[in-house]
Amino acid sequence: MTGTSLLAAAAGNLLPTVTPAAPVPAQVTAVEGSLLAFVVLTALATALARDVLAAVIVFGAYSLGMAALYTFYRAPDVALTEAAISAGVTTVLLLLTLAKTTRIDHDVAFESVNVPAVGAVGLLFGGLLLTMGDVPAVGSPDAPVWSNPDVTQWYLSESYAQTGVDNTVMAVLAAFRGFDTFGEAVVVFAGGIAALIVLHREVFA
Amino acid sequence: MSDVRPDEEAVRDAAPNETSAEADAGAVDEGDADDVPPHRARSRSGRYDSDRRQGTPYTESQVIMPTVKIVAPFAFTYGLFITFHGAGSPGGGFQGGAIMAAVVFMIAFAFGIEATRDWLANTVVVALAVGGALAFAGIGLIPVARGGAFLQYDLLPIPVKYGLESVEVFGIATIVTGVLMGLFFLLARGFASEGTGFGEGGGDESEEDATDETGTAANDADGVGGDLGPSGSDRTPAADGGER
Amino acid sequence: MTLVDATVVAGYTVGDFLLLAAAGFVVLAIGMLYRAVKGPTMQDRVLAVNVLGTNTVVILAILAAALSEPTFLDIALVYALLNFLMAIAISKFTVERGGVL
Repeated sequence: MTGTSLLAAAAGNLLPTVTPAAPVPAQVTAVEGSLLAFVVLTALATALARDVLAAVIVFGAYSLGMAALYTFYRAPDVALTEAAISAGVTTVLLLLTLAKTTRIDHDVAFESVNVPAVGAVGLLFGGLLLTMGDVPAVGSPDAPVWSNPDVTQWYLSESYAQTGVDNTVMAVLAAFRGFDTFGEAVVVFAGGIAALIVLHREVFA
Repeated sequence: MSDVRPDEEAVRDAAPNETSAEADAGAVDEGDADDVPPHRARSRSGRYDSDRRQGTPYTESQVIMPTVKIVAPFAFTYGLFITFHGAGSPGGGFQGGAIMAAVVFMIAFAFGIEATRDWLANTVVVALAVGGALAFAGIGLIPVARGGAFLQYDLLPIPVKYGLESVEVFGIATIVTGVLMGLFFLLARGFASEGTGFGEGGGDESEEDATDETGTAANDADGVGGDLGPSGSDRTPAADGGER
Repeated sequence: MTLVDATVVAGYTVGDFLLLAAAGFVVLAIGMLYRAVKGPTMQDRVLAVNVLGTNTVVILAILAAALSEPTFLDIALVYALLNFLMAIAISKFTVERGGVL
């Protein structure tokens, strides 16, 4: 249950979702591959769109793909958060911000690409890809994130017995990691106050 | 502009009553159409969300408003379900709170942000956010008072499961709902462009919206309207009336 | 043995075909993405993102069926209820650039 093993577990969980590439090409199903293509395309379009409103709209589409991807990877809590936050909140808040700022009509649809920057990021990405060979396959029962007896298996076996809650995610969030969640809630609260300060307001409504 | 402002203040003062009457959906505002531009008076006379309460150039949609009327109760109930049923299915306080805040956004887009701002006073928003934080801390501190650790649920006088759920419902969901609604209203109103903004522009909470609205509007009309772009999207009522 | 696990043809189950259908819908979504990105006017983009949202509801529902996880339908419901908000927000925003929000 050390920090490094947790980190490795988290990396093992996250990395395979970044790319459908090399290590396990046979296991990339049609849904997974098409969803990943959709997500990558929307992310690229969001980054490159010259018009901010178009970027916001395409970013909404990106979150749709991410929610479907989370659902496919059987992370319904994350998918639900993505759905509620992106479809309901983020787009609306970004649009309100845009309404308060000026907008320049552009002739070109896309940003010009900064080639050295893309090269640097590509090098970093290639270096990260080299580590993919050591990452366990998605859904592999030998993956540390799943087989770790001190973390995942312990939570799965103990959470209902100790809390009486069916949803293990909620048991971990509210009970086993309750203090972290308290910090998160305070961060959200502080975010609201920070917005008040930044916008020089004293009242919300 | 000065001939508009007293009327605006009267409107602001009368707003809460009208908003409560709005729930009947039968409240009809008549009169006060003398300072309404002809094209707007014609298209919206008799609507309870006419600009007598709005004070902003607001185009209502005959499609969006009934749809929101139908969808909003279900969406709000669904947000409550996600919040309260987080122990047995995917979901929890954060997701449910975001959905409930999104319902408020929906209502604001359909019936006007200013009207929704009048309906949900600043007190409600702040009470949700602060109350949520206090409730979370309070639930966590009860076991400490009983000699245990922070958030040690088995020392609560209720079963552990209900301890978790009360944290989700009274703590996280209320914080998220309050802060998201507050961010929405805050971003809809924008930057307080005069001076520091503290102690002068925002208006005291006791004076509420009348002072706030006209004060901000006067400042916007005084030349910082350039911030808002060339498209004439200056939305404050006094500036709006002044132009006409 | 549920319906999803029933074999249809050549060892492929109903769930496999549902996943294939979901992949087809994702391909359609990629096609619609072209309109959302390219769309000469904002109205094109609003329509595209609305279609994408509805498409996602279908994908999520199919995934819930294919993976035999009925609770995944919750996510589809959230999108069905809130996708409408995104559409009206963007469409009202495009009028006078937020002047009528």
